[in-house]
Amino acid sequence: MADETQSTPLDMRAIAPHLLLPLAIIGVVVFFAALQPAMISGGNVVNIMKQSSLFFFVAAAQLVVIITRGFDLSVGANVSLVSVVSSMVMTSLLPGLGTGIGVFAGVCTGLAIGAALGAINGALVAYARINPFIVTLATMSIFTGIATTVSGGFPIFNLPEGFSFALNQMKILALPIPLVIAGAVAWALHFMLTRTVHGRVLYVLGDSNEVAHVGGRRVREHLFFAYVTSGILAAIAGLLMTAQTGSGEPNLGTSLVLSSIAAAVIGGASLRGGTGTISAPIYGALLITCLSIGMNLQQINGSLQPVVIGAILIFGAALDAYRTRGR
Amino acid sequence: MTEHMIEPDAALASGHPAHKAGETLIELRDLDKSYGAFKALQGMQFELRAGEIHVLFGENGAGKSTLIQIICGVQGFDSGSYRLFDEPVSVMTPALAHDKGVSIVFQEFSLIPEMTVEENLFLGHELVQGLRLAKTEMRRKVHAVLDRLGFALDPRARVRNLRRAHQQMVEIAKALLWDCRVLILDEPTASLTDQEAAQLFDIIEQLRADGLGIVYVSHRMPEISRLADRVTVLRDGKYIDTVQMADTSEKELVQLMTGRTFDEFFPEITRSAGDTLMQFEGVTLQRGMAHDLSFSVRRGEVLGFAGLAGCGKSEVLRAAFGLEPLSSGQITCGSTRLERHSPRKALNNRICYFPSDRATEGLAMSQNLISNSTVAALDDEKFSRRGMLLKRPAERSFAKEIIEKLKIRTPGLNARADQLSGGNKQKLMIARGLSREFDIFLFDEPTVGVDIQAKLEIYDVIKTLTEAGKAVVIASSELAEVMHMSHRVIVMREGAIVGELDGDEVTEQALLSHFFAHEEPAAQAAGEVN
Amino acid sequence: MTAQTIRNTARRNPILASIGILPIVLIVTCGLLALYEPRFLRSSNLINVLRNASFLSIISAGQMLVIIVGGFDISVGAIVALTSVSSALSIVWLADLGIGSTAVIVALGCLLGLIPGILVGLANGFFVSVMKISPFMVTIGTMTMAAGIAGYVTGGTPIYDLPELFTREIGRGSLFRLPYIVYAAALVLCLLWYMQTQTRLGRYFYAVGGNEKAARLSGLNTRKYIWAAYVLSALLAGIVGLFLTARVGSGEATLGSNLMLESISVAVIGGVALKGGVGRIPMVALSALFLSVLSNGMSLIRIDSKYHIIIIGIVIVIAVAAESYRESRRAGHG
Repeated sequence: MADETQSTPLDMRAIAPHLLLPLAIIGVVVFFAALQPAMISGGNVVNIMKQSSLFFFVAAAQLVVIITRGFDLSVGANVSLVSVVSSMVMTSLLPGLGTGIGVFAGVCTGLAIGAALGAINGALVAYARINPFIVTLATMSIFTGIATTVSGGFPIFNLPEGFSFALNQMKILALPIPLVIAGAVAWALHFMLTRTVHGRVLYVLGDSNEVAHVGGRRVREHLFFAYVTSGILAAIAGLLMTAQTGSGEPNLGTSLVLSSIAAAVIGGASLRGGTGTISAPIYGALLITCLSIGMNLQQINGSLQPVVIGAILIFGAALDAYRTRGR
Repeated sequence: MTEHMIEPDAALASGHPAHKAGETLIELRDLDKSYGAFKALQGMQFELRAGEIHVLFGENGAGKSTLIQIICGVQGFDSGSYRLFDEPVSVMTPALAHDKGVSIVFQEFSLIPEMTVEENLFLGHELVQGLRLAKTEMRRKVHAVLDRLGFALDPRARVRNLRRAHQQMVEIAKALLWDCRVLILDEPTASLTDQEAAQLFDIIEQLRADGLGIVYVSHRMPEISRLADRVTVLRDGKYIDTVQMADTSEKELVQLMTGRTFDEFFPEITRSAGDTLMQFEGVTLQRGMAHDLSFSVRRGEVLGFAGLAGCGKSEVLRAAFGLEPLSSGQITCGSTRLERHSPRKALNNRICYFPSDRATEGLAMSQNLISNSTVAALDDEKFSRRGMLLKRPAERSFAKEIIEKLKIRTPGLNARADQLSGGNKQKLMIARGLSREFDIFLFDEPTVGVDIQAKLEIYDVIKTLTEAGKAVVIASSELAEVMHMSHRVIVMREGAIVGELDGDEVTEQALLSHFFAHEEPAAQAAGEVN
Repeated sequence: MTAQTIRNTARRNPILASIGILPIVLIVTCGLLALYEPRFLRSSNLINVLRNASFLSIISAGQMLVIIVGGFDISVGAIVALTSVSSALSIVWLADLGIGSTAVIVALGCLLGLIPGILVGLANGFFVSVMKISPFMVTIGTMTMAAGIAGYVTGGTPIYDLPELFTREIGRGSLFRLPYIVYAAALVLCLLWYMQTQTRLGRYFYAVGGNEKAARLSGLNTRKYIWAAYVLSALLAGIVGLFLTARVGSGEATLGSNLMLESISVAVIGGVALKGGVGRIPMVALSALFLSVLSNGMSLIRIDSKYHIIIIGIVIVIAVAAESYRESRRAGHG
């Protein structure tokens, strides 16, 4: 209670950082709406909600490991592999077992694969103690290779209708299903990060492995599960994106690596570890999605969009360096 | 060319303007330096003359390091004046200081571990012929300086592979490789053996005779008595006084340093030695930092570990807490033998450890007070449900309670650990000891880098714990601290226990006699008692 | 059993310990390949391997410098693409200006073509050394920007109509049967080796990466050397971009997309420690050769190209795991 009363006289310096991102997002939307009113048309708003929900999962996958002062370069490859394998499971089970079971099996397989890939990363980072950058760089190429090999390099079509409906087109209380799932996952993740011992330890070990170790925490186990969580989140993204495109794509996640890290960092997670809340992937995903949808509406050349995102990434990292300067 | 670079007189004749003995080399007036709100130096006065050894005397955190870092350009200063060789200095950099003839031996090593001795000695000032490194000439010079200093070092050895004492020698050789007019030594003997230290003292006296001005940072009385011409005393970043060593007694110096006498400074802790809580039997560490350790820790008394830096005393504490793997021997806690020891196991056996390095092991610097104070007790019923879900209200009220109890000054409960001052950080770490039930408290360098006020409060915590019947173990490089706080002192040298002193036997003389190798017979005798 | 023996010998024998087991692995790989697939030893195939190794070793040498100063350069691949586009555009533009001599056009075009890459290197160095931003973030950002610009400028279609002199002579010409790029690589590696072992600059790179604070205390301007490493890395990537452009005969915005991953793999396999301060040119050259032999061998014995990245990924993990294992043993017995 004490510190809450202390901060009541509207300490702008404490509040300003929290307002920066929402204002920036609103600014971007207003800017593009002024140029092109279609930006705030009903259809486009639903589109923004869907896209940013999909994107939220990869950004959140990144957040969980960034908190531990790690990285996951393999999220994109994970998305691709989940997309390919779960599609194959669904298409092969469809005639025999019926849509319901097929879709259910596909989703379960996808999640299991995500968890397994995360476990591989986690084992190499936490138990073999290899630099996470190298680990995920290597597993990125391994997973991508497997995805192309398994699919033969071609998209997998003829997914059951029910799959796309259940994970993309369905609406609950007028909200698109990806948004509903994103909301539920965000809440669960927030709960894990702030109210469980596991979440607490992730922050502490991100700050310093030794502190957590001296504090009697099982550092390796927690680190391992952070990567598993990240893998599962990426798998959810893979399933939802597959439902959106309607086919299993071996290069579905290729472009996600960079933008997922960008989203998490712009949203306020520090690469120095130990910081970052659930708001980071939410704001980051919204900001980047609004920007790219806005640029699409303005028919800005597709090649230039990465330039803007790259600039934002460096800006976000500079902001992070500035925030944590002198620590 | 190389010859007179090594001989200071000759070098001065060619390189730098001639100087007279007694001429002022460095003059600092009213120097201030702060880091944010923390005032590292206030109103500092300092003067160094040619041909004198000027000792900087003060406790850890008194501002000695900041002062010498300002002199050699690693840090800037906020206000005041700095005159070097009678010229005002506004901006100083390490390179400029070196060129002007200010050499420094750092306490924290300024060596590159992956490079060789030779490469380190010349770092930043390599001799070149055109673009190419003049390796033969450098080798010759290295041999010359090592011979003169009497250091047996292989110029091609990688610094990473050297022992700490040898690394210290490289530091010293690095400073003396070049001709200089001012030499700054920051606790140069911290890890040298007695013989090596004696050799160094001879060299320092020789350099004084050659007309160098020498700044010597130390808090070891015997060294100061032997070397010092003048002593400047610092306390809490403030200038206290500059005195002539010849007409000042050691007692007076210590009084100046601490601002009070020993008797009022250290609390009187009642000893009521109870049953043995922990026992080391023939313990040898895997990393070889300590071997054949046997001792016991008892309830209701303070056990001190004394010895030079690197003697293995802090490794003993780390081993007791499961941070150092054993290669042989066993540690028993109560009646259980601690096998496959780990910090987790130690905590569950009611052992609490406060590391010396707060920044890397003690506190998660960007986490708030609450999470730092309870991190070791998250499995406890008090703070979590089945070790899974946090009980946040309990954490909050605990944090509030310890802030009050330990008088931690903080902007709020949600302040990050790195927003606190050194002393408050240390108290926050100690708060962990109150987060669950412990029987054994291990303090590794409990008062490094904290101010006097916090120091007294920490001593008070130790007193309270001991008198409540807990077992307390302290490892400290500050002789006065181990001496006055402990009921029983174990002295270590080069990884072995060389003496155990009890009660009235704990005197400065007795302790120091064990520190160095030349007292072998006596040390062994004492060792056998134990 | 054999691995154990090699490790034991390596520990006892200081020379073997210093070069590690990479040369042995390389020789064994070559030997097995030669036995299993005699086409490996054909001179045309060996020249092919050597050419690939040359490209790879130049760009990896730059990567090594950056890793030595404690960083990373993710942008090297994008710099190759950017240089390809910019040099092709410059050459076409200079030809349109009506300069008579093709040699002048090509020389000037190449020099102009290097400029954007060097600008990227300067930007990387600035953000990392002055702004103190994580090198990973900086170079991943500049990578996207550079690749985006290259893609935008070409609009997705390659730039053709490059002079014969450029595509035939530089791209496919050879001296004593060896392509020019091999000589270029030899020259670059020798210069860098000389710099690393014989000059102050080389030592300072090691010092800055080995212990930045100590280097600063010794009076080094650490920012300058960090900056220099990024610029050198960008320059070397640019040179590779020029030769690759000449080789494929057109300016392409997708050139070198694998080189980022491969250059880091080469550096890591070549024993360049990610913590900085360690890394030697001869080992990087060997490692580039090893990776080239490996992918050549996989093609020869008809392993599907899709498996290549899987295998290379596994090789990286093994190499790094071996390094961290060695490191922990050393720490354990330190």
